[in-house]
Amino acid sequence: MDNLTEELKKRLIEILNLTDVTPEEFDENAQLVGGELGIDSIDVLEIVVMVEKDYGVVINNKEIAEKVFSSLSSLADYIRKNSPK
Amino acid sequence: MSSKKNVYIVGIGIISPLGYGLDATEQALRKNESAIAPLHVFAIQQPPPLPVGQVQNLPDLTLPRTHGLAITAARQAMEGCTHPPDAVIIGSTTGGILTTEELLAAQDRDAHNYRYHGLTTVAEEVAREVQCSGQALTVSTACSSGTVAIGMALKMLQSGKAEWILAGGVDSLCHLTYFGFHSLQLVDPRGSRPFDTNRQGMSVAEGAAMLLLSTTKPQKPLGQILSCGLSCDAYHPASPHPEGKGASMAMQKALDNAAIKAEAIGYINLHGTGTPENDRAESKAVRSIFPQPPPLSSIKGATGHGLAASGAIEAAIAAICLQKGFVPANTGCRQPDPECQLTPLLQPADLPIATVLSNSLGFGGNNACLIIAQPDLFSSPDPAGQSRCLTLLGKACITGAGHTQQSMERFAQREPMAGVIDLETISEQLPVRKVRRLKRFSRIALGLADAARKDSGLDHSPHCVFMGSGWGSLSETYDFLDKLQQSQEQFPSPIDFVGSVHNSAAGQIAIMHEATGANITSSGGDYSFEQALLAADTFLDSDARSNSAFVLAADEAHSQFSPLFDPSIEPATPLADGGGCLYLCRQAMPGKLSLQLTFFRKKTTQVIDKLITASGGQETLQRNCRMILAGIPAAEAQEGQAQLDSFLEKSGLTIPVIHYREFTGEFASASAVAAVMAVHLMESSEIPAGGKILVLGLGENVTCMEFGRQ
Repeated sequence: MDNLTEELKKRLIEILNLTDVTPEEFDENAQLVGGELGIDSIDVLEIVVMVEKDYGVVINNKEIAEKVFSSLSSLADYIRKNSPK
Repeated sequence: MSSKKNVYIVGIGIISPLGYGLDATEQALRKNESAIAPLHVFAIQQPPPLPVGQVQNLPDLTLPRTHGLAITAARQAMEGCTHPPDAVIIGSTTGGILTTEELLAAQDRDAHNYRYHGLTTVAEEVAREVQCSGQALTVSTACSSGTVAIGMALKMLQSGKAEWILAGGVDSLCHLTYFGFHSLQLVDPRGSRPFDTNRQGMSVAEGAAMLLLSTTKPQKPLGQILSCGLSCDAYHPASPHPEGKGASMAMQKALDNAAIKAEAIGYINLHGTGTPENDRAESKAVRSIFPQPPPLSSIKGATGHGLAASGAIEAAIAAICLQKGFVPANTGCRQPDPECQLTPLLQPADLPIATVLSNSLGFGGNNACLIIAQPDLFSSPDPAGQSRCLTLLGKACITGAGHTQQSMERFAQREPMAGVIDLETISEQLPVRKVRRLKRFSRIALGLADAARKDSGLDHSPHCVFMGSGWGSLSETYDFLDKLQQSQEQFPSPIDFVGSVHNSAAGQIAIMHEATGANITSSGGDYSFEQALLAADTFLDSDARSNSAFVLAADEAHSQFSPLFDPSIEPATPLADGGGCLYLCRQAMPGKLSLQLTFFRKKTTQVIDKLITASGGQETLQRNCRMILAGIPAAEAQEGQAQLDSFLEKSGLTIPVIHYREFTGEFASASAVAAVMAVHLMESSEIPAGGKILVLGLGENVTCMEFGRQ
């Protein structure tokens, strides 16, 4: 498990107020949007804002967003590849 | 059928990005040009400015921009009318927020400068302008607000509650809506192009329209409001039902209420915001009701989306269509989206029109449709004779002391229940996942509705929701503006924006209770619960689909905002919040408790005499009335006490008076808790059989709720 994935789990729990989920329970390979956690389009937009603010990575294309938000690992991958460093 | 209850459009005021007045609006629409242009009403930190619809050359009225727009439109509508309307009903979502945003940015901490923040101040200033001493009412149902305001006026006029009403909608551009819709990625960077294949969203706009309506037929009526249909998607806080279920329900209700068939509609003014989802859902809804739709178009490609103003602006444009035999184009649409399977008018057309259906579909799934027709072509159906009685099925309150039981135990000991209860206690009965995005205000509201349903012992929830709030979602509004400012306007929170909308709480109640009927959020400062009750009394009928409702009001205390906005809260005033909810039904049930809103007027020199007359006179009052719960907001202490003294003296009543704010603390929705206190007293042995309790609201307005047993 890498640091970014762990960090993202904590950030998502925080910004989406997933108070009944612990980072350990957060499955990074599970379906992120429309899955068990009840994450929907508004949450995705909140994550988009966070990713741009905290990692400098812009996600403003619907097709890309669909891939990026398929799971937390794919989000982490995308940030890793596109981060300005 | 009686033509007495036909509701005519007597005068119209309209201000939009297209210009001032009906003639300028018509000329602009005939040109089929978009007035959408880069924002310049206020400066932004991160260029380029997005395209918006803005009003040019608004006269400086020293009031916030929303108020200025509303008053200018009201003056136009009242031109030539020599007497004031009986009531003013304004749909608005922004109130004085643009001014508030500027003051906050300048770190101004002088509460006096925030006195026009509240939504209710728009209606109050309009009422002052047109010298209306009746009711100044505010509805805030997001993008359908203006339509709901006109619909409410229609119902009040049809029921004979008023003869003249000035109703409409208004919103000004502000940071909250400009950045809020942008954060939801709902703004088309090229300007709104409703129903176009390549559309990418809406253009936030501003404007105002006011309609002077009357059951007295003027010499030259500009149209007749036939009916209104309301519904709630009860689906999602910010996205329409994908099949347009709520929208089609509202259209069908409007047709049913007008007692006409779909074929009788000559033109549909679509909500058509230009967002992919709205236009797709609305198309499906239209096709479900109109297999062969009449000519139709959305004008939002020309005006932008004026939010609360849009429905009123479009009602005014419907009157132009009827008067001039002209229908506007769907400006901005080049290539109609084949997926929508609708063919909006690509060019304006000269076409004699007898009836217009105008759609407004808002956030929170709050849908409203109006049918406007040539005068006297149709008669409004006589409203069925119905019970005036609203029967109480359940109750709940939340105060600083806790939920209903803890609060009423304190009250029974005549101990204060005021305070700010912790979020955990508020949320203890609410599903964690479903409320995770909701902050204090919405959770109080959801907790109240849930508890009132449980208290009723019924296994079903009501169909309708009528909710009042003085200040709405203060936490979300504060957090949104704070994050916006902290990030140099780069990172506003979409979740906070959705939550900040005034009607978000009532929309959440609808989702949780599958309440697909009328869903109206009112705002009336310290009289917000009374306004919600008035709306309920106006819309609840004996039809089984629309005869029951949650009627509630709530407010949250906010350490930064409450002392700035609420004139009854001084910096040293201990904060208090909470609310109350009644589950009510429009049906007589012998033996059950019932209530009536018997009086609601602005303060005038004669107001107490009128209150006594409305309550049945001195003798009736002395015979029935056993207790008074009096609500005097701290900011109105002298005025309110003088009114109460005058009432007691003139009525000759010598009965116990409880000053309920001594128990609830100071907050706008305290009267909702007082309503629950009254029910508690009625249910206890303190009130003898046949006795009634009056809950009086005093100060700027004088209101009276009467609780009794049937």
